[in-house]
Amino acid sequence: MAEAKQKNTYTGFVVKPMLRTMRTFVKSLILGRPNTVLYPYQKLDLPQVYRGLHTLDFKKCIGCGNCVIICPNDCMWLEKIDDPELGKIERPGVDIGRCLFCGFCAEVCPTAALHMTTEFELANHERNKLRFSPKDIRDDKFADTFKEERSRRSLPYLNMEKCTSCEKCGEECPEMCIAIVPVEGTGRKRPEINFAKCTSCGKCAVVCPEKALEMTDVYEAYFEMPEPKLVLENCTGCQACSKACPAEAVYMLEMPGTEKVLKDGKKTKPKKRAVFILEKCVGCGRCFRACKFKAIDMPGVKK
Amino acid sequence: MNLYEFCYGIIHWLVDLVNNLWYWLGDLLPWWFGDFFTAVGDFARSDGHLSVMTILLEGVVILVVGLVNVLNFIWIDRKLSGRIFDFYGPYYVGYRIGGWLQNLADGIKLFTKEIITPAKADRVGFLVAPIVFVGSSVLVLAAIPFSHNFGIATNDSGAGIPAGVLFAFAMFAIAPFAILVAGWSSNNKYTLIGGMRSAAQMMSYEIPMLLIVASVLLLAGGFSFGEVVDAQHDIWFAIPLFLGFIVFLVCIVAEVEVQPFDLPEAEAELVEGWTTEYCGMRFGLFMMTSYLRGYAGGALTTALFLGGWQGPRLIPDEFWFLIKAYIVFFVVEWMRWSLPRIRVDQILGLGWKRLMPLAILNLLIAAAMKTMGWF
Repeated sequence: MAEAKQKNTYTGFVVKPMLRTMRTFVKSLILGRPNTVLYPYQKLDLPQVYRGLHTLDFKKCIGCGNCVIICPNDCMWLEKIDDPELGKIERPGVDIGRCLFCGFCAEVCPTAALHMTTEFELANHERNKLRFSPKDIRDDKFADTFKEERSRRSLPYLNMEKCTSCEKCGEECPEMCIAIVPVEGTGRKRPEINFAKCTSCGKCAVVCPEKALEMTDVYEAYFEMPEPKLVLENCTGCQACSKACPAEAVYMLEMPGTEKVLKDGKKTKPKKRAVFILEKCVGCGRCFRACKFKAIDMPGVKK
Repeated sequence: MNLYEFCYGIIHWLVDLVNNLWYWLGDLLPWWFGDFFTAVGDFARSDGHLSVMTILLEGVVILVVGLVNVLNFIWIDRKLSGRIFDFYGPYYVGYRIGGWLQNLADGIKLFTKEIITPAKADRVGFLVAPIVFVGSSVLVLAAIPFSHNFGIATNDSGAGIPAGVLFAFAMFAIAPFAILVAGWSSNNKYTLIGGMRSAAQMMSYEIPMLLIVASVLLLAGGFSFGEVVDAQHDIWFAIPLFLGFIVFLVCIVAEVEVQPFDLPEAEAELVEGWTTEYCGMRFGLFMMTSYLRGYAGGALTTALFLGGWQGPRLIPDEFWFLIKAYIVFFVVEWMRWSLPRIRVDQILGLGWKRLMPLAILNLLIAAAMKTMGWF
């Protein structure tokens, strides 16, 4: 067993510490400057991953409210704004007084519009001033300068309105990751892309005659978000979910054969149903909340 | 011209100025008043009154110089501790002169604080302890001259107190008594432990230190600072009595109670030691006085071992003295911020088992050198 040899010498207790402090003294007074920073006048260069005040890119934000949902302290809220450029939008605000700076909101943001800056001098005399409305934290240029840590890749996104069910994309895909799935009731088919297998080669987007598939940059999600499921019997085709969806992942498709013949012989328009493009879904649960007919089932989301 | 003559001139001029007005006023008044005025004016011009006022003025001059040095010392202590621990010391309050004004700002802050006496404290002791502590420490300065011409003297010759070294060390040794009184009267266990530690510590360092002073006086052949410094004209006593110099330095660190030996204060163990219950400017006086004692320690070491005001004639003698005192203080502070505090039993062991034999050995060396006729 190795025992530390205790040196009870004056060299060890007196001379060595004095030499060491003299070395620091010379280093900090004569050869250079001390290690510390004169805080209010000089500041440290904080790393980009420092979690300070939030900043929001209004143009990238889609107003899905995932940040509000995931916030453990319930310090964020969605605020309705009339923007001259973007129209009527909903954007999140943040109450710094309750924020614990966990950074979940920035991590969960599907479009990487919300970030946390290195701004840390947030103290104030009044509690009200700790509440930052979306306009206070708006900075449309910050998100471009921010080097996103989440891995990003480009994936084909389907525009269901343009899709003609030609199945060419499924034939072209070298990884065999596009499955052609029939959409019940509409008589149409749509490609369902397995993102786990996709290599972002972009061949499906090239081959698509209607340009319904578009390569879009997507950030990898850290969180598993709930997915909506349609209960077809209850769907009335009211389009509430389609209007509510911030990610444009809900399409209303007509169901041929459901036209009703009126008394004067004219046919009504066919009934519509919702189609969820789950690849686009950000899991915010807005469609679930908008639906008044219990036609959408979304386990794990509160109404 | 020495300090006494300078102050005497000022006092004489002032008294003459006031006396002219006084006699003129007396002439205006009826005769019985005039006689009284004349008597008072004659008293003011008498030699006894003039010399007493001169000595008072000398005391003020020496005290002001000492207090300015104390401000410097506090600044050096803070700056040095900062740089030794790799941070900036005081910086913003007067940053053009290196944060020197921080001490004044702290002093103003302490002045504005409330002075509280604990309810169960012994009020007389609580009040007297700071007075004794500060007064005895200031009296040390009275005995230490900066040069032959710059020191408190009682006559035209400019010679200081005949047994100045003894007087300085006697005053220096009163402080532990004041600390003990302060610790006891505060009625607090931390202060009491601090006061008792101070008394125990004094037992250990005082005797070796005075033995070394005795060896220095033996070589110098006189008790006053002038004689001790003159005896070092050829060689500083730090060289023949190197052993004694080291022991004296350790003892002086213990005497001024800085870090390796600051057992009475020991802020990590006893909250603030014996100053726990003192607040406001009372604490400020304690802190100021501890640095005053540091300055006095440096000055004593300079006078006894480092040749006092001896030096090349490039700058005045007084500045040589101050430079040497500052260097000694620098070394003391360097030890202060480098070494850990030792235990109570360790300082007793150090004082009695190590320093005491070394001091006696040093006395023997001094006696041998004196016997050989080298000094």
